[in-house]
Amino acid sequence: MKQMVPLTVRSGYSLMWGTASIKEVCHAARQRGYDRLALTDTDNLYGLWHFLEACRQNDITPVVGAELTDPATTDRAVLLVKNQEGYKNLCRLITARRLEPDFKLAEGVTRYAGGLAVLTRNSSHLEQWHESGVAVYGAMPRRPLPLSSPLCQTARYLNVPLVATPGSFFLSPEDMETHRMLRAIDLNTTVDRLGPSDAAPRDAWLASPREYEKRFEACPEVLANTRRLAQTLEFTGPDFGLVMPPWDSGTGTSPAGALRDAAYRGAQARYGRDLPESVVRRMENELRIIIQMGFASYFLVVRDIVRLSPRICGRGSGAASLVAYCLRITNVCPIKHNLYFERFLNPGRKDAPDIDVDFAWDERDNILAAVFERFGDHCAMVCNHVRMQPRMAVREVARVYGLTEAEISRVTKKMPWFWRQDTAGLDILRELSERPESRDLDLPAPWPRIMAVARKICGAPRYLSVHPGGVVITPRPVCEYVPVERAAKGVRVIQWEKDQAEEAGLVKIDLLGNRSLAVIRDAIAGLRSNGHLLDESPWAPEDDFATQEAVSQGKTMGCFYIESPATRLLQKKSRVGDFEHLVIHSSIIRPAANDYIQEYLRRLHGGSWDPIHPLLADVLDETFGIMVYQEDVSRAAVSVAGFSHAEADGLRKVMSKKDKDHVLADFYRRFADGAAQNGVTPEKIREIWQMMMSFSGYSFCKPHSASYARVSFQAAWLKTYYPAAFMAAVISNQGGFYSTFAYVSEARRSGITILPPDVNASDIRWQGNGNTIRVGLSAIGHLSLKTMEKTLAGRKAARFIDLEDYMDRVRPDESEAQALIQSGAFDALCPGRSRSMIRWQWACWKNRRPPTSSAPLLFDTVLHPVVPPPQITEDPLERYRQEFLVLGFLCDTHPMTMYKTEQEGRQIIKAKNLGRYAGKRVCVAGWLITGKVVRTKNGDPMEFLTFEDETDIFETTFFPKTYTRFCHMVDSNRPYLLWGIVETDWGAVTLTVDKIEGLPDYT
Amino acid sequence: MIHRFVERSIIHINVAHFAVAVEQTLDARLRDRPVLIAPAGAARTPVYDMSQEAFTSGIRKGMPVAGALKVCRDCRVLPLYPARYERAMQTIAKYAGAYTPVVEQGSGDGHLFLDVTGTSRLFGPPPDVAWRLERQIKKDFGLAPAWSVAANKLVAKVATRLVKPVGEYIVSPGEEAPFLEPLPLGILPGVERSDLDALAMYHIGRVNQLRPWDLGQLQVAFGTRAQFLFDTIRGIDLSAVTPGREKEPAVAMEHEFSEDTNCQDKMEQVLYGLAEKAGRVLRARQRFARIAGVVVDYSDGRRCARQVSIAPATANDPALFEAARRALILAVVRRVRVKYIRLVLRKLLFPPVQLDLFDCDWQERQARLMVAMDNIRSRFGDSAIYPGRMEAPGLQQLFYA
Repeated sequence: MKQMVPLTVRSGYSLMWGTASIKEVCHAARQRGYDRLALTDTDNLYGLWHFLEACRQNDITPVVGAELTDPATTDRAVLLVKNQEGYKNLCRLITARRLEPDFKLAEGVTRYAGGLAVLTRNSSHLEQWHESGVAVYGAMPRRPLPLSSPLCQTARYLNVPLVATPGSFFLSPEDMETHRMLRAIDLNTTVDRLGPSDAAPRDAWLASPREYEKRFEACPEVLANTRRLAQTLEFTGPDFGLVMPPWDSGTGTSPAGALRDAAYRGAQARYGRDLPESVVRRMENELRIIIQMGFASYFLVVRDIVRLSPRICGRGSGAASLVAYCLRITNVCPIKHNLYFERFLNPGRKDAPDIDVDFAWDERDNILAAVFERFGDHCAMVCNHVRMQPRMAVREVARVYGLTEAEISRVTKKMPWFWRQDTAGLDILRELSERPESRDLDLPAPWPRIMAVARKICGAPRYLSVHPGGVVITPRPVCEYVPVERAAKGVRVIQWEKDQAEEAGLVKIDLLGNRSLAVIRDAIAGLRSNGHLLDESPWAPEDDFATQEAVSQGKTMGCFYIESPATRLLQKKSRVGDFEHLVIHSSIIRPAANDYIQEYLRRLHGGSWDPIHPLLADVLDETFGIMVYQEDVSRAAVSVAGFSHAEADGLRKVMSKKDKDHVLADFYRRFADGAAQNGVTPEKIREIWQMMMSFSGYSFCKPHSASYARVSFQAAWLKTYYPAAFMAAVISNQGGFYSTFAYVSEARRSGITILPPDVNASDIRWQGNGNTIRVGLSAIGHLSLKTMEKTLAGRKAARFIDLEDYMDRVRPDESEAQALIQSGAFDALCPGRSRSMIRWQWACWKNRRPPTSSAPLLFDTVLHPVVPPPQITEDPLERYRQEFLVLGFLCDTHPMTMYKTEQEGRQIIKAKNLGRYAGKRVCVAGWLITGKVVRTKNGDPMEFLTFEDETDIFETTFFPKTYTRFCHMVDSNRPYLLWGIVETDWGAVTLTVDKIEGLPDYT
Repeated sequence: MIHRFVERSIIHINVAHFAVAVEQTLDARLRDRPVLIAPAGAARTPVYDMSQEAFTSGIRKGMPVAGALKVCRDCRVLPLYPARYERAMQTIAKYAGAYTPVVEQGSGDGHLFLDVTGTSRLFGPPPDVAWRLERQIKKDFGLAPAWSVAANKLVAKVATRLVKPVGEYIVSPGEEAPFLEPLPLGILPGVERSDLDALAMYHIGRVNQLRPWDLGQLQVAFGTRAQFLFDTIRGIDLSAVTPGREKEPAVAMEHEFSEDTNCQDKMEQVLYGLAEKAGRVLRARQRFARIAGVVVDYSDGRRCARQVSIAPATANDPALFEAARRALILAVVRRVRVKYIRLVLRKLLFPPVQLDLFDCDWQERQARLMVAMDNIRSRFGDSAIYPGRMEAPGLQQLFYA
């Protein structure tokens, strides 16, 4: 090696400093003639695996390293890895820098210097580290330093070599502008207000070896030292193999033995003492593969975690495993439902499979805390690298240019949400001005400039966030594999996102939150408290006829995963409610699949069909020849194009990735070649490929769908038999698809009486009992948790006997008292009084209440009771208005009933009767519940809106013409008159609206 | 001083949708169509004023512009120019000044109170005065105001609200209470949203529903607002018409950028031009300034004003500029672009007669330089001489044309 090696190169992972992606850095380095390159991002190894991959592609020998800063001073040092031990130390050092609040660079480097080459420009550090035996070098920045400089003098005195470290933050001089823009964004200022130390100097770009050699011409020995040092850095990346969570029985049992025992014990609990032959055969097969691949401890660790909660839902491909089912990691019998284990694990598979487990949303944080407590520094969460997407980039750059938020939103709201840095193409300005929505969008200066700069910073990493549930657990402390830092919300995260973690071999366990598990838990607990004991072990809701009937009619509002209008319509149209079909339905509902859904319905209802190609006949038989599950893609690739299993699995994985376009193009070529060899016509090839692409990254594998369907069925069963307890749990847990208003209406439609909140009867949460639901105190707006708790505690001591008693003991503040009155929580306490009279009573109490302080008053005040004013009358409309204001719904009636006068004299059809008017144009009055804007094939927006009146809920369609005309009027949660044609499709009724008119908003 | 027992005559003139009306007189194309005015640029900017047509289609003051445009899609949105409305208001107030010295005006909102108590012998009965004023405003401005005559400001204001946008209402003395009786409480000035909410808790929406309540009962239910409500619903208002005070003398110069900017250099160049202009006015008036204030309007309508003291007081351009620059740095803290800069020199003093104990050669030379520059400019025009920092395209035309 004769030439200079750049030892201080930063990429965009030096957040908001570096401008180029790692790919670009490596590509540029190769073009400039480097064959060795060190990546030294500041205080991180965020892009390590991307770097190693890019080096491989560009035939460059990687040097692993990082720049470490001192948090208190401007001191910094560059650390380069010499060997495995050095890598561990680098990870430890970065972790210490990130986690220890009083980290000191000088001490840290001394502590973990083994296996590292340390480059510093600080002469005192040079001396200190040299004395403590660190392999330290004097770093000569950018230009040669004079011999009289302290660094040169110290280096000469200690006989420490000096190396050239012309650091780079960008690739060419023109990138300076981009760099300064990033700095201005980061510091929340404008480019011309940046101070000298706020940004890198002009020459901080990656020059060619010749350029560097010219710069350091005056001191050739420095260049020679640099080359020599680079040669000694032989570490080209870590190799961990698969890193499994450790499991220790404490008794010396091997994980394999323990897993076998546990699995068979579990199987007996699931299938009875005498295990059927099929179970034993499959169990043996699975155990053999699991143990052979070394996954035994992984299963046992997941089992231990799952045991922390009595109600979980194991999902993802892991649900295909009988072992997982027997360990109670999953709840769907893979034998009964035909789930293939090989989809999850097979000996050919190189990468780590992951098991995803859902916990009740309010338990998950505790579960995570317990995992962290048990595994300590052996576990951390996976992070997300949040990057500048086009919208964010345009917004930030425009802010630096001083544009106002309104000017910015005017442009950014025309940018589609799904534009990501990979799909935005090259020219934001052109792409934007070509979109139909931007017809009237004028983009004068400085917009073209802003767009051009924004384009350059698109895709730059911005900050780290936490992956929703990914946890890695490692046999040695995590910080020996990867640097760990603390995310904004306080948890420890590793510096790699899930793709890099997977590449490194770190096996991740997903622990996610799920509201419906809490709903089911609460509903069952509610039943128990009302004396209905439900034994869950033999519970098979999917086999219950009444439940299947309800599911087939789409009566599933509130039920997990099958409550959205689209799914309920699909259920109604399919008219089937058994488990197998529900599994299909919860997978086929996805964007870009509408045509296939129509075709599926036709075939389901007896329409004739031929397999798209004979080669696919077996693969798609179960799903009427339509691709439904994620694995259908890989299975189709295998049977049509002769892909190997690993190859097909690669295709499946790529489809859910973000940056996929060019990889997919390559797969298509191979697919088309393979298929053509098997005699498939080009037309068919395109058709099959299109069906595969209709997944567009959103798809479930069958085991996952089955796991979800199981939870859906549990919910549907509860809703069928105990609607009050179930709906109360749905509302209390919030976060469902619909508003509380819609759930209350649904409960009322199921024949349930909604009892108003009552300080003597309501709990904080809603409670269902028999045929009634008691509104919980949590439904009352403005009411603090403290007041709710005081109410419950006060009531426990003694029931409240009147308003004054409540006020004296609970002392809510004024707005809370008002909200309680308006919601009707005192109605039962003050029988026969109107709410305005109760309010008067409260005002009187407030006036004569004893002061809270015990200081004596200056004058004796004798308060005479005031006579109530002669005119306190009750206006029912006003009462409803106020009740709606604090609760968001009405307890004893549907708000549509307030619009009787508006509806008089018009031929208004009630929602429950809509089916009788198929094909006719009708007028309906309805309250808007929810809506969803979609785009037609031509890109025109249209909307599906859900309305309800006091009799039923109904779906409407606003085609583009109607949508454009009326969309400005449609606002959530208010009443409308709708005119349109009633349409039926496989028995499901919808209204195609052509005119809409708002009713006055009394609320 | 309030004359409690003299029967007062108050005229209230209310030009409906004043800001829009002013704009409509400037641009006839804006007439008879929905128009609204809102500070340009802010994300959730509220409606400042709207035309009658826009009002009829449901737009109200204070609602977000985005929402307003949803209600009325063909509404034109105009930027806000408070100075313009203020100037128009001043002119109308000047007309009113011909009839009475006691004129109270809102800040550019089209409201004017005239206390014409005891002027009947000079100008005729109050309705005649009001009518004459209306005619004059109509003639000169093309604005049609609503007006009323009543015994106090409260009732007069309610009366114009009733007849808005055009018309008149005369409430005879003693008729106040029956006049208010059937009205909704929301129309009474001073009754806030919070009052209406509190009243709604008793299901009360109109004056006549609240009239039977005595003061004691009102106190129980409405606490400190009781007396106000008690008086207001009976049309009792003792507040006087208060004319505005004389303004403190100041020299002010302003500049509106043709293209908004957040570039420090550009702003400083403009500021220097303003300081020069202001300095010349100061020197012509033979005054020194002790305070320099800078007001900047950001593109989104937010305004920031900062001032610094100048010690010693001066009329020297560079010294004035240095002070103004300090104020500018304090004022421009956001990165949003600036559309307007105003320089105000206040606390104007006579030049100190007392000379410095020691020679201050530098100050002396600066002062002589200023005199020389002023002389050159007065003979050969403003552009004959200017400092190097003002050498930029367009700047000379702006400041030395």
